[in-house]
Amino acid sequence: MRLNGVAIDETFAEAFPMKGTRIVITAHRPAWAMHAAVAATGFATSVIACGAEAGIERVLAPEETPDGRPGVAVLLFSMSTKELGKQLERRVGQCVMTCPTTAVFAGLPASAGEALPLGRNLRFFGDGWQISKVIGGARYWRVPVMDGEFVAQESTAMVKGVGGGNLLLLADDTDAALAGAEAAVEAMRRVPGVIMPFPGGVVRSGSKVGSKYAALPASTNDAFCPALAPLAAKTELDAGTRCVMEIVIDGLAEADVAAAMRAGIAAIVGRGADAGVRRLSAGNYGGKLGPFHFHLRKLAPEGSEA
Amino acid sequence: MTYRLTLRRPPPLRLDMRALQPARAAALTAAELGRLELPSGCGTLALAEVFDIAPAGTEALVVEGDLERLDFLGAGMEEGTLELHGTVGDALGLGLRGGAIRLDGSARDLAGCAMSGGAIEVSGDVRDLAASALPGDLDGMRGGRFVIHGDAGARLGDRMRRGTLVVHGDVGEFAASRLVAGTVALGGRCGAHLGYGMRRGTIVFGGAAPEPGPTFVPLDSDIGVFWQLLARELEGLGGAFAGLARRRVERLAGDLSVRGRGELLVPK
Repeated sequence: MRLNGVAIDETFAEAFPMKGTRIVITAHRPAWAMHAAVAATGFATSVIACGAEAGIERVLAPEETPDGRPGVAVLLFSMSTKELGKQLERRVGQCVMTCPTTAVFAGLPASAGEALPLGRNLRFFGDGWQISKVIGGARYWRVPVMDGEFVAQESTAMVKGVGGGNLLLLADDTDAALAGAEAAVEAMRRVPGVIMPFPGGVVRSGSKVGSKYAALPASTNDAFCPALAPLAAKTELDAGTRCVMEIVIDGLAEADVAAAMRAGIAAIVGRGADAGVRRLSAGNYGGKLGPFHFHLRKLAPEGSEA
Repeated sequence: MTYRLTLRRPPPLRLDMRALQPARAAALTAAELGRLELPSGCGTLALAEVFDIAPAGTEALVVEGDLERLDFLGAGMEEGTLELHGTVGDALGLGLRGGAIRLDGSARDLAGCAMSGGAIEVSGDVRDLAASALPGDLDGMRGGRFVIHGDAGARLGDRMRRGTLVVHGDVGEFAASRLVAGTVALGGRCGAHLGYGMRRGTIVFGGAAPEPGPTFVPLDSDIGVFWQLLARELEGLGGAFAGLARRRVERLAGDLSVRGRGELLVPK
């Protein structure tokens, strides 16, 4: 299948169930909400070693937040309920509570899923001066801090999300690969309910499962490394592909990840093969490991076949 | 099905209405409901002896008439809706756990006393000790939502621990005395000794600001986030609370005589 000159492989991205949640961080000024969100989602690119995958979903206008201040919506994913709870508590405790003027709220309705502690344990920072308040059925904690008080909702709902949706961009060279990846990420960021957890949304060290070294759970995706194209036992690359970038997507629901992949594919196809990204592929493990399969050709825009 | 119970005439003695529960009544036939025994004086009266029973076209169990000698209406209710027309006796919604009571009229003492859930709305006044504790109990109202559109008597919300208590009119002396926690919103004027011995909890004023006692101290730290959360919720009550979120708020802490960490919120 070739759309606007861009070849779309007959393959699928294989994704896994993850536990995920959304939190809303607000602050006196937009910049401080962003500082907190950036810090809280730092070092959260892959569960392989970070414990969580996290990112900024979008910026919120004052009229969209519970307290009428500017805010940022953040998504956080992990492999287990226990790990997600631990990561959430640490990140909010160290990166949001510490950031001037911030407050933190659940970003999903309580009915969406199991409650995950948000302010429930952070309140003890108040050393007995913390105040609990139930407003409109939700409990909030008010912890006195040096700039006033830190308000945190007691808990946020956890949902079964989808992690590891992905798109591989096969390009002529570094410039073309970066430009294509940037355009695709920009389009995907407009989709609600998803994050692209890697730096700038893009990963260049895509991995395969396992390694020749017993201690490593993952290692370089040799089938997509241009340097190994003539050497490795199996390569997926054609001659002329000198640079490959991967975009990984985590979403609160399967449909969100599919929508993001659809937006990314459309962005690449819209730019056309002449922009340098000549082929789209995806990473999978034969379909036996992950229950979610996103077939690229089913997500491709219709009517532009050429 | 639901019923409309019309009191024919006031009973000769006070009538204990605890047995009349909307959810249970809905499962009975009119004849069975008529045989429901209601304690009165040293004996009991069958419900049909004092009420006319008719089907009601509403979701609620409706009770109407001169209800002044009827005590414990909706007491201990867990579900369903009870709609009352007329002035009722003592202990309306005593120990309410769920469901809703709507009273078109006024109530006497102990309304909503020891309630732990559900909702009570009174269009008229309540007398003393509304939302307070039963004698010997450590906690008064400990959950739910209680809205009084008229005035309230003395000792409103005594020992209250949780939930939201709203009075649109004036309140008597010792309002929110010994408050343990929860939210009390007052739209009118307050009697003397407001928040006497309150330990925690929040009292918000929609209307006239009270003269706080000497055991309350002003605080001027920023509570903007919490105020917006609370004010936006209370705005829905209307009346003196309309537009609350747009007003600046002053905060006082107390009652310091009991090392209280409660607060009075006075919008400007």
